[in-house]
Amino acid sequence: MIVRSLLTIWMAVIIIAAFLYAEAAHGFPGETSRILFFHVPQAWIATLAFLISMIASVLYLAKRNVKADYIAQSAAELGFLFCVLATVTGSIFAKATWGSFWNWDPRQTSIVILLMIYGAYFALRSAVPDLERKRVFAGVYSILAFAAVPFLVFVVPRITSSLHPENTMNPASPGMDPKTLKVFLGSLFAYTGLFVWMLRLKIRILNIEGLRVRDLFR
Amino acid sequence: MHQTKNARQTTQTKPSTYLNEAVAIWLRDLRSEFRTRYALNAILMFAVTTLIAVSFSIGSFRIEEAERPFLYAVLLWIILTFSALSGLARSFVKEEEAGTMDILKLSARPQAVFLGKLLFNLTLLGAMELIIVPSFILLMAYQINFPGFFIAMVVSGGLGLAAGTTIIAAMIARASARGALFSALSIPLLLPLMITAIKGCERAAVGIGTAGWPEVKMAVAYVIVMVIMSLFLFPLVWEE
Repeated sequence: MIVRSLLTIWMAVIIIAAFLYAEAAHGFPGETSRILFFHVPQAWIATLAFLISMIASVLYLAKRNVKADYIAQSAAELGFLFCVLATVTGSIFAKATWGSFWNWDPRQTSIVILLMIYGAYFALRSAVPDLERKRVFAGVYSILAFAAVPFLVFVVPRITSSLHPENTMNPASPGMDPKTLKVFLGSLFAYTGLFVWMLRLKIRILNIEGLRVRDLFR
Repeated sequence: MHQTKNARQTTQTKPSTYLNEAVAIWLRDLRSEFRTRYALNAILMFAVTTLIAVSFSIGSFRIEEAERPFLYAVLLWIILTFSALSGLARSFVKEEEAGTMDILKLSARPQAVFLGKLLFNLTLLGAMELIIVPSFILLMAYQINFPGFFIAMVVSGGLGLAAGTTIIAAMIARASARGALFSALSIPLLLPLMITAIKGCERAAVGIGTAGWPEVKMAVAYVIVMVIMSLFLFPLVWEE
């Protein structure tokens, strides 16, 4: 309860700071660079969720513990949500700076493939009626997809010459304004907190649903 | 010859290896395929009708000379990929429909089943490519300056199509809405391969920058990764 209230306050502070405290970065039209505080953490969560889902799938296949599958499914669902958010916010930024909502920039290509994998994962889950089998198949597909994705890094054309801003807004490079860096890291933290909270809620829901199903067949 | 023809006899006379179990399954599938020709007919008719549709609507002169190497490579790989997806699931779906899954589980080890089915899918794909690729080249007047590279790309790309989809076929055989699901699950996994193969065929047609055969190497690496991952994961899918 306390943690949740703190998270709410923290998130509100970050949203206000993103618009009022941090200054807009140079070299971007108007205030467009402020999308950094929302878009980048969303993309980070989408990737993190994908990774968590894959690791939980491996655990499920090794130990056959239902809890692991709940984690894999919840992480995938939340990852899909954040993936959509990152795609939409990125697309708005693309319209504002590059002139079109969609132009198959390498970043856009890779996020679409991530969305397709998530979509296929859910389609597979909904198409297998048997519970145990559904979990195994979903886990196997998750791992297969994880093995295929690295090839994209090599084959997506001109991945190094993406229009995606890296240098001015990358926190690791010295080009970033200290105020911007502070708000960015704060936002990253807030989004991670939000994700963890949502993930735990989702796992609890699946747990309760699982109990009900088991009781029915007892 | 006699031993490979009859899997049961092989297991009685000497301990069977993965290889001859796989070959036995491959030969059995080939025999049953020759009786019905279901999968081959489905794949070939799909490929031929798509090829005719493409050739009829675009013809051999619509696309400008400079654009041809790339656009023809795209068209060729769309035809090949979707034709493959129309029929490759058959290898496992037919076991489910005929109710022979359990017998197959008893008579061979999972990895051998996977290898046998992979060989069978490769045979189907090989037959399809042998007919479709030359017809495509003739119908579209596809100018290829480096045929060796082109052939290697088509072969390694075909290997990749089979390697990426065989384990998916095993999964969707036990699911509902099989046909649509097979494509939906396979395409995200096949995209890196498709992009590579299109790039490779474009390079072969232009005939520049083929030193080191980068795309063929990439496709072969994809095949190796997918086959190894499938060999690890297939027993889980198969025994479920």
